Amino acid sequence: MLVAKDIEKAYGDVVALRGADLSVAAGEVVALLGRNGAGKSTLLSIIAGLRPPDAGSVEIHGIDALADPVAASQHLGIAPQDTGVYRVLTVRENLEFFGELAGLKATRAARAEVVAEQLGLTDLLDRKASALSGGEVRRLHTGCALVHAPELLMLDEPTVGADVATRNQLIEAVRALAADGAAVIYTTHYLPEVTQLGADIVIIDDGRILARGTQAELEADHAISGLAVEVTADFDRARLDTFRPVDLGGGRLRLDGAATMAGVLEAAGDQTSSILSVERLQADLESVFLAVTGRQLDTEPEASR
Amino acid sequence: MSTALAITKLQLRILRRDPAFLVIMFGMPLVIMPILRQTVGLSLAAEGFEGANGAELAVPGQSVVFGFFVAGSVGFSVFREHGWKTWDRLRTSAASPISLLAGFAIPWIIIHVLYQIVLLAVGGLLFGLRFDVSIIADLAVIVSFSFAAISIMLFSVASFRTVNQHQAIVNLGAMVMGGLGGALVPLEQLPGWAQAVAPITPTYWVMQGHRAVFLEDGGLADVATSVAVLCAFGIVFAGFGARRFRSDETKEFFA
Repeated sequence: MLVAKDIEKAYGDVVALRGADLSVAAGEVVALLGRNGAGKSTLLSIIAGLRPPDAGSVEIHGIDALADPVAASQHLGIAPQDTGVYRVLTVRENLEFFGELAGLKATRAARAEVVAEQLGLTDLLDRKASALSGGEVRRLHTGCALVHAPELLMLDEPTVGADVATRNQLIEAVRALAADGAAVIYTTHYLPEVTQLGADIVIIDDGRILARGTQAELEADHAISGLAVEVTADFDRARLDTFRPVDLGGGRLRLDGAATMAGVLEAAGDQTSSILSVERLQADLESVFLAVTGRQLDTEPEASR
Repeated sequence: MSTALAITKLQLRILRRDPAFLVIMFGMPLVIMPILRQTVGLSLAAEGFEGANGAELAVPGQSVVFGFFVAGSVGFSVFREHGWKTWDRLRTSAASPISLLAGFAIPWIIIHVLYQIVLLAVGGLLFGLRFDVSIIADLAVIVSFSFAAISIMLFSVASFRTVNQHQAIVNLGAMVMGGLGGALVPLEQLPGWAQAVAPITPTYWVMQGHRAVFLEDGGLADVATSVAVLCAFGIVFAGFGARRFRSDETKEFFA
């Protein structure tokens, strides 16, 4: 459904993408995982035709999306990170408008109701978007992207600011779409969502795709053992050099697999009181991300610009 | 063009939800028309138009001045989409850039034409504008003015980054061009330099058209030059606007 190859993009001196490749097949859900500024949103916006790449190719449903973006966009639905709905219109009017824009005619009203049902908006169909809560607006925003049942759906941080119920409804809707054959690209900072989606995971960092696989495959290939140590600012970090420390920020250090609790305390010597906590790293997505990129995943998405 | 139609219907729906702007745009000229009518009437009498009551230019003049404010709404609508964060959603739809522009221009051309017709009709009934004239000829002037005004505003959208810059162009069109073109006071009352530069403004040609119809009992042939010049304004600004328009350009609504 989507084949993006060797995508490069720079904003002046800032390089956002350095030869990124991404392919998604029909029925597949891909979770794009990366730190703020890693290039996720830029990659999505290039695929969606919102920005031209400096180099590379994008093919959607066999159509060269860079040469014929209008034809390619007929197979595409995107919910950008910034919430964009018509607040003066009702939920129904918003859904029907985006359906009409995508070419739906007779089925428009019915599709609006189906999507509203999927996202728990049925009781709100005739309410103005301006009267919705933040989570409801977020669901409507996503609904507008999937009302025409696109073959390629891209959701950029769809659950930012959403409550647990909203998250679950969105994830279920995405899973249902994929089960119906849609290809889905999903960016998020909430790792449990990735697990819940059962998505193929693509790790992007510094404009490059560094790893791809199922969660089990990535954990088998990349998960790291070792310790995470939290130290005070005056701690002499050189004392832990034997364990190849990686700065995780906030006074936290990752120590390699050779590190043991006793070894750390011995190395700290007379500064053991400067060690605030020591915990064993679990083989999970967070440690996979750390192993692949050498950095921790941000806990919150970048503020909207 | 189905995408342009969808956007057109959306614009009209949004306007129906909040028609306050149009209501004000109808009310204000109806207040100003009687204030200017007597002055305009005296000027026309001095020119030798016996029996003219001033409504012949005061009523259409206000429809031209406020018509520019109404035309500015096409730009406001585009900037508003940026503020609402819906512009990128429109861009990722199946709408081509030309369909996008058409979707915003079409409803405002329709509204602009209807606005002038209703304002001339109501203003005329209230303040004594003659209707035993060539309605077809005046309609040609009205439609060509709408085309020119909306094209100028689309050019403004394509050229400026912020809604405040666009608003400055709207004010320039309404007040400066309205004044220079003879829409606020008759051209004959303006200083010589202003009369000399007046023909470079579209308002001059609209007012010449209305003048031919309401003061000189002219028909289609008598407004042909005005209509042609206004259409030329429209074509030139629409052409430059389409050429400059970049749908991926970031626009600032209200910062």
